[in-house]
Amino acid sequence: MLKIYYGEKEDAIYNTSVYFKFNYNPEWFKDPDIIHMVKDIDNSSVLGNGAIDSPVLGVIAPVTLSGGLKTLILIDKVQDRIFNASNCGDNCAGWLLRISRERDITVNLRHLMDFGPDDFEIMIMNTGDIVHNMDELIPVAGRYV
Amino acid sequence: MRGSVSLRVRSAHLQYEQTFHRNITILKGDSASGKTTLVDMIQEYELNGSDTGIILSCNCPCRVLSGNTWKEQLKGMHGSLVFIDEGNRFAASEEFAHEIRRTDNYYVIVTRESLSNLPYSVTEIYGIHSAGKYASQEPVYHHMYRIYGDYDLQNGREPQLSSIKPSIR
Repeated sequence: MLKIYYGEKEDAIYNTSVYFKFNYNPEWFKDPDIIHMVKDIDNSSVLGNGAIDSPVLGVIAPVTLSGGLKTLILIDKVQDRIFNASNCGDNCAGWLLRISRERDITVNLRHLMDFGPDDFEIMIMNTGDIVHNMDELIPVAGRYV
Repeated sequence: MRGSVSLRVRSAHLQYEQTFHRNITILKGDSASGKTTLVDMIQEYELNGSDTGIILSCNCPCRVLSGNTWKEQLKGMHGSLVFIDEGNRFAASEEFAHEIRRTDNYYVIVTRESLSNLPYSVTEIYGIHSAGKYASQEPVYHHMYRIYGDYDLQNGREPQLSSIKPSIR
């Protein structure tokens, strides 16, 4: 299940790009799901040596990936930290839901991310409410952001 | 600083062009749309000038404000277009709102958070669209569009994108 703290959360990693820069593991880029994420969000390809082939910037290091993608990778790979998922655009929402179907993940959000028109299951940690669509989510989460 | 600030910044592969009308502009939107790349280009040009190969044209200095030393940095910024990338916790703080009231800069803030301490207009919230073909000889043109400002409340019409200008060379 996806668990979300809305609003300020002091112990969450706010600047996820900086955290990624000093903590990413090149091995992560051998994971087929990460390779898929890189293609889907940044329209880029993971090369065999862990470098990334970006259509915009050429061959780049993982630290140059988009802020949203780096945050998504951290949420997937670093399970003992809570990350500020407001560095992710709405185009990352589907991946958050997908990862959370495989295991529980907890994130901090400081804005109302659009999780799309389909049903989902999200626990709002501020209140303990479990919501199943955006119509249920907005009135609860909106109190905190 | 008063009036509009026009910015054009270009590298071999990318080009951005935008006019900023008010002292606070918010930049948001999907991941990988080029927001941080724009701030990086401004910062590289600020640090290394024409050695970067970046061509920057603006009617005022362009600066980047970041990190825990933001207050010290801000003291040296006057009459400038100041960019703040996402990940800078201070941008949502009361202290920042208080400090910038005493400055004459324009601010472009990359964030999805609602900055309740700052008096910005809903019409000055922009996203970025790109036009052009990556890996071609022409730089890809990045165009900002108003996310809410062009919405016709009376008729309920969807926002319309402004026409995209041709790439300069």
